[in-house]
Amino acid sequence: MDEASTSASAGATRRAFPPARSGVFYRFTQQNLPAWKPAMTPGCLIAMFLIIGIIFVPFGLLCLQTSNHVAEIIHRYDVDCVPNAYRGNRQAYIKDSSISKNCTLQAKVLEHMRAPIYVYYELENFYQNHRRYVKSRSDKQLRFGAKYTAESCSPVQWDNNGSPIVPCGLIAWSLFNDTYDFTRGSKEIKVNRKNISWKSDREHKFGKDVFPSNFQNGTLIGGGKLDPTVPLSEQENLIVWMRTAALPKFRKLYGVIEDDLHADETITILIGNNYNTYTFGGKKSIVLSTASWLGGKNDFLGHAYIVTGSLSIFISILFALIHVKYPRPQGDPNRLSWNRKNGNG
Amino acid sequence: MEAVTRLVKIRTSKTTLAIGDGANDVGMLQEADIGVGISGAEGMQAVMASDFAIAQFRFLERLLLVHGHWCYRRIAAMICYFFFKNITFGFTLFWFEAHAMFSAQPAYNDWFISFYSVAFTSLPVIALGVFDKDVSSRVCLEVPSLHQDGVNNVFFSWSRILSWMLNGMCCSIIIYFGSLNAILVQAVRQDGRVAGFDILGVTMYSCVVWTVNCQLALYISYFTWIQHFVIWGSILIWYTFLVIYGLFSPAISATAYHVFVEACAPSPLYWLSTLMIVVTALIPFFVYKISRTLYYPQYHDQVQRANSKNW
Repeated sequence: MDEASTSASAGATRRAFPPARSGVFYRFTQQNLPAWKPAMTPGCLIAMFLIIGIIFVPFGLLCLQTSNHVAEIIHRYDVDCVPNAYRGNRQAYIKDSSISKNCTLQAKVLEHMRAPIYVYYELENFYQNHRRYVKSRSDKQLRFGAKYTAESCSPVQWDNNGSPIVPCGLIAWSLFNDTYDFTRGSKEIKVNRKNISWKSDREHKFGKDVFPSNFQNGTLIGGGKLDPTVPLSEQENLIVWMRTAALPKFRKLYGVIEDDLHADETITILIGNNYNTYTFGGKKSIVLSTASWLGGKNDFLGHAYIVTGSLSIFISILFALIHVKYPRPQGDPNRLSWNRKNGNG
Repeated sequence: MEAVTRLVKIRTSKTTLAIGDGANDVGMLQEADIGVGISGAEGMQAVMASDFAIAQFRFLERLLLVHGHWCYRRIAAMICYFFFKNITFGFTLFWFEAHAMFSAQPAYNDWFISFYSVAFTSLPVIALGVFDKDVSSRVCLEVPSLHQDGVNNVFFSWSRILSWMLNGMCCSIIIYFGSLNAILVQAVRQDGRVAGFDILGVTMYSCVVWTVNCQLALYISYFTWIQHFVIWGSILIWYTFLVIYGLFSPAISATAYHVFVEACAPSPLYWLSTLMIVVTALIPFFVYKISRTLYYPQYHDQVQRANSKNW
């Protein structure tokens, strides 16, 4: 593009081509592309905030209403399920395998709950998101078997005889093993424990030909045992447990009840209080919940939409009032400092 | 002449600019803070020793008033915005640590973190630093006092830097606590599934990417196809990456395996909470910007508005 470079070519004169002053590339290099410059006029902004408010507030009300239609029953049971004799020494109670861990809970159904009803166990103060804990697993071993037992699984990698533990790692070792059975009067309510895990976990992360071995046979028991004749891809409680939770308070799916529960009914929950949360001050609760298109019961989204929408409407009204009181013509050249009478230009 | 330049530079502590075209000007050009060499009649020695080279003396006006002004605004904006986007991202990690016992467990999958500054938020910043244009070149030449913005350090003052950082902190707080409370602990979909570490990470990260890119869209005042391409393109790259990375075997993708396609995309809660969080995070800055430019405009705002109809 520069004419000066074609100098001193003996004899022949080379024509210097002037740079093109048109074309897409020229406009690009001259920074002269067609552009949209949004003009922030007060009218435009007031309208924009008003639209945001008008969309968000009804949406928030819809989300709140949806959440209110979800019926939820929550019962904490780890304190009440300890027999009176052991209330002072709960750790001894939970570690002693000779004491019966069965516990009965009466739950009153306040509103009609339509099937499917999801049964969760909720733990609190359990840090499944601790780095050491999260690392302690071997995805390859879960998929392909014992020969992929990895260093990442330590300290639960080999058992006392040096054979590999399948599944290895702290996450599997601390498997939750409370059980819940539901009865309505004398009739049992069936809880479906199949298909509670994510499909991708069942089919791709846990092997169909990998079986538990040497699992939970050490001196330190961390949680539940696994049936060594069932392959890992069918051990749904393990699969659900191994999908680590985000925060110390979390819920995991235990099973699905396919019947309706009617209002003012009382159901009896028979709990097998096996899992030790007493050592670290954790809490256990059982949750029965229906689900809507938005999921479970949570008012936060609805409230957040309403708050943001109302704030938006408030801002638009505020700007409208200010605009009415102090109108400023757009691009008024009298406001430029060299045009102002008392300007300091 | 270099002695004179040095004298002026040291005695007045001001930024000096020297312009020259001959071999005898080389010393002066190197001594000054900014050396502008003119190529042409006296050869290329001055050009080789200079910071900027122009072809004719009269181009100096454009160099200072147009390119100087644009460059100053661009670089100042780019640096402030860079702080903002990294603080928004980094602080969500910090807030998560408070809930993870400070065990250094990152809230996101490792490759998400690695690609943040490379793929999802880098192009918009480059577009800001290279292409942003607040007023046209004609206005820059007509209003030379705009050059004073640079001299008075209007765009890179401490108050600006700190307020961008504060904006980043506020956005990260809104993003973190918003995602947390919207997604946990209840089921996130109609099939009763709950959100674990993986879904929370994807939700928060999506909110971060949307927020920082839309923040840029709110900040700049000049949209060509390039800006549209990089801003919306970066967001699209994030989702594309998420899908492709999720297809790798779990040994590589770990918690991100199929997470978007299977868990997040079919969940209305994910999309609705992203929308709510992004809008809420952007409102404070937007209100501040409007109040500033409409009701307490600075000099450059007034010039920009006065000339917005005839660019």
